[in-house]
Amino acid sequence: MAVSSRQKEGFTMPELEYLAQCETVTIVPLHRMERLELVRGTVGPFRPPQKTQVPLWLAAMLKRTNRCRIVAPDWLRYEHLQKLCKQEEEPDSLFTKLPFHYLEIAHILLTVAEDDISESQGIRRLLQDLRESRQSKTLRGIEMLNPLQLQMDNLSAAEINEIRPLFRHSFNMLRQLDSLVLASEKSQQQSQYADQSYAGLEDSFVSSYPL
Amino acid sequence: MSKRNYYDIDDILASQERVPCFLRTDLDGLGSAGGGGSSKVHRNSRWSLPFWMADRLNDEDYLDMQVSPVFSKQSNRMYAASPESVDLRNICQNYYQFGLQLSEVAPEVPHVLHNMYMTRIQKIARVAQQGNNVETLDFVQSLDKMEEDILRVCQHAQGAITAWHQNKAYALQKASVIHN
Repeated sequence: MAVSSRQKEGFTMPELEYLAQCETVTIVPLHRMERLELVRGTVGPFRPPQKTQVPLWLAAMLKRTNRCRIVAPDWLRYEHLQKLCKQEEEPDSLFTKLPFHYLEIAHILLTVAEDDISESQGIRRLLQDLRESRQSKTLRGIEMLNPLQLQMDNLSAAEINEIRPLFRHSFNMLRQLDSLVLASEKSQQQSQYADQSYAGLEDSFVSSYPL
Repeated sequence: MSKRNYYDIDDILASQERVPCFLRTDLDGLGSAGGGGSSKVHRNSRWSLPFWMADRLNDEDYLDMQVSPVFSKQSNRMYAASPESVDLRNICQNYYQFGLQLSEVAPEVPHVLHNMYMTRIQKIARVAQQGNNVETLDFVQSLDKMEEDILRVCQHAQGAITAWHQNKAYALQKASVIHN
């Protein structure tokens, strides 16, 4: 199968959306149904109006055919998102804790189950604000790049996908530059201490490693 | 010279950049290689050769290769003052690649490259995120080949999420030639 160069750089958004649909959501089924035994697990018997946990793809399918009502997840409420927005906008804060696929789940739920989510317009606006402040934080993360390690907690799948090409290129470049610097330092030391023993050379090599 | 990128077209283009050389022997019949017209090149004359040629001849001691003016001490100091406003496209289109290759003979080049890269990368990322406008046009036109690649890739990645939000991300679309 021919893989386009766009696909080699990372996931495409439809792929991420597909992956996000494995997450579970709570629904209120409208019809009675027996147990469904699927590959990933059993989806329990539907006894309305009891709430059940189902995978997101199944919930979306049922909702489109009007067989259930979706309960908004805890983090997709207006007040919670407002709190997270304020937290995000504080200067020098880390990323706020959001589910790994929050963008995709929110998109699917807002498309399919708009009537089940209160204040959907406000939530859309808040999600946009959240995304913008997180983006400016990733910009600051670029300043802190070094060839050894960079840690950014709580980034979501779509955001990682966004920054992957740039960071990959930067890491490669920095690593190349770093190894060149080390190689030139090592050859310099070898010419200076030509008659030192090998153990001595190793010590001086370790101490000159830039951290 | 590292052989790992022998077939890489970017490496080949980058090593085409000229470096000044100081000849140690008389070379007969090769004057046209340096861009001059005469067929005999004398000892102790200055000559400008592409890097791939100069590096090999340097190893064989036919000439002394010197650092290209792009990476001379004066240029390095000038660029270090304000990396973001340096017009890399005019100076040397394959600046980074060429620098990586030169690093094997000039040990101060990696630091110069590092400095240049870190500052310009941030600006590229910012341009990609906030979109192209009139003020950034100058900067975008001054990027070298590798940075242009990065900018294009970044812009595509940024646009991917917004396009998907507007439901334009799916590959299957009705062909435009079909009129119903």
